[in-house]
Amino acid sequence: MRLAMNNRGAKIVQYLITVIVLLTLNFFLPRMMPGDPLSYLLGDPGADAPMLLTEEMRANLREYYGLDKPLIGQYWDYVSGLARGDLGWSIYYNASVASVIVGRLKWTLLLGGTAALIYTALGIALGAVSAWRRGSKVDIGLLLTVFSLGSWPPFFLGMVFIVFFSYRWGMFPIGGAQSAEAARLGGLVQAQDVAYHWVLPGLTLVLTYLPGIYLITRNSMLSVLGGDYVRTARSKGILESLVLLRHALPNALLPILTTVAMRFGFMIMGTMFVEVVFAYPGMGTLIYEAGAARDYPLLQGAFLVTMVFVLALNLAADLVYGWLDPRVGRLRVTA
Amino acid sequence: MRKVNRWLGVIGWGLLALFGLAAFLAPWISPHDPKAMDAPMLGPSLSHPLGTNDIGQDVLSELLYGARFSLLVGCLAAGLSTLIGVILGVLAGYYDRIGFAVMRVVDVFLAVPRFPLIVFLAAFLKPGFWTLVLFFTLFGWTKTTRLVRSQVLSQRHDGYVEAAVAVGADDVRILLRHLLPGTLSVAVVRFIVEFQHVILAESGLSFLGLGDPTVKSWGSMLRYAFEYPTIFISDIWVRWAAPPGLCITLVVLGLTFVGFSLESYTNPRLSGRRG
Repeated sequence: MRLAMNNRGAKIVQYLITVIVLLTLNFFLPRMMPGDPLSYLLGDPGADAPMLLTEEMRANLREYYGLDKPLIGQYWDYVSGLARGDLGWSIYYNASVASVIVGRLKWTLLLGGTAALIYTALGIALGAVSAWRRGSKVDIGLLLTVFSLGSWPPFFLGMVFIVFFSYRWGMFPIGGAQSAEAARLGGLVQAQDVAYHWVLPGLTLVLTYLPGIYLITRNSMLSVLGGDYVRTARSKGILESLVLLRHALPNALLPILTTVAMRFGFMIMGTMFVEVVFAYPGMGTLIYEAGAARDYPLLQGAFLVTMVFVLALNLAADLVYGWLDPRVGRLRVTA
Repeated sequence: MRKVNRWLGVIGWGLLALFGLAAFLAPWISPHDPKAMDAPMLGPSLSHPLGTNDIGQDVLSELLYGARFSLLVGCLAAGLSTLIGVILGVLAGYYDRIGFAVMRVVDVFLAVPRFPLIVFLAAFLKPGFWTLVLFFTLFGWTKTTRLVRSQVLSQRHDGYVEAAVAVGADDVRILLRHLLPGTLSVAVVRFIVEFQHVILAESGLSFLGLGDPTVKSWGSMLRYAFEYPTIFISDIWVRWAAPPGLCITLVVLGLTFVGFSLESYTNPRLSGRRG
């Protein structure tokens, strides 16, 4: 029941406002800390280890935050810097934030993207079967299995996988995205190795997010299966499998699509946990490490890139949704 | 199916009651002060049923006090955000202008993935108990508002509401007596979903080391266990890492079961026979 905006322009404006809110938050939060960001970085009384900075890094930081200018000038520098792709300077890596992020983004996309494809397809298939066989042993069995799998927090499920599949049975690597040896060889060997490293974190993500898609599909299919056109199709004597695939599923898919799209943001949470547990070198681990190392420019940059990425995906999904379902934007303005 | 629903409900409520009781009684039933230190890494014994952790604190006591923290944060944040969501949702559904303004704010909030945002805020602000509750409330009310609003919009033109308007009932009466009760089932389901989310997100934050460092929570127990060098090689994880992990799992499972049985109760189409 998304509030349908009556045109795409309004939707895009809304996302732009969201981005501006995030930028502003990203700009002000470090400056709102007691003292200025530099003294916060350098002299945080709660820091486990005092940050040791070279003069060069200090200069880089001071330049990044532009602390000697008035606030409005700082904000302008910040935004125009972002527009040029300048995300600041990472203290921890002593490299530009953008270059650090580029190396990490691909792994998150690989891990999260493939997992999303698998759990979406599997969730729709299982949910459809469950709805079709409502009340049967298959349905109840699926429901219970999916519920009990879906309640595991991903960081704990990942640990259990590591204990059994890695330490006990030695079937899969403990963590990382690839081994140095395979990365050097490249080609098929590397692809195999990357897939091998994907299995445990990927499986954890699939199991974490499968239940949501499964339940939505089941509910959506159940309400569609009760509809008049399905009854009509059945009464015409159409094969049950065709009723399901041609008449019921397409109509049930729209709410599923919205859920899938809206879950991209939600999925970041799981991906972050899974990456940290499996030491997978993606954005989640990066944000975690940046937080632990008090590398605030890196934290800000990684946060911003993640957010903008999710927003772009959500906007795309919103636009596609309006295109797939012509009723959105006309009839459902108030619903 | 109806029978299954009832059983799921019973199991769910049972699990929640068990953990609620453990959390409530923690100060009286814990064998030790969760912060008191004995010898580190003791195996299970009568005095320490689950042994001690790397700095000699009793694992069972940590677990009981952890239940207190996790459930209290979850319950408070979910309760507050549902309350705010219902109030704003009802107002937004009944008054068009408020509705327009509120929904624009909701749209902005809903577009932002909230967990990275909470991680980001937590990294800067070092949250304690109340800051955590505030975070989760702040980012939790929007979905409830949207659902409650559409519920109110669909009720607004029902006969009994129009009749109330026709006999000259004032707005307060219409809102409280005629519109609010209809939103109750949405609110209950939302409360449960929110509760689950907060439990997972809070223990996740603590697991990442971004929670309240001064209190015992299930997430922080998992964190310290996970960071212990030989945790997975030996069997220590069975008595140290597994208990808090299973507690989170069982609370979430309990909430799922309760939610499922309530949802099919309020939406009979999902549980009835094929029509």
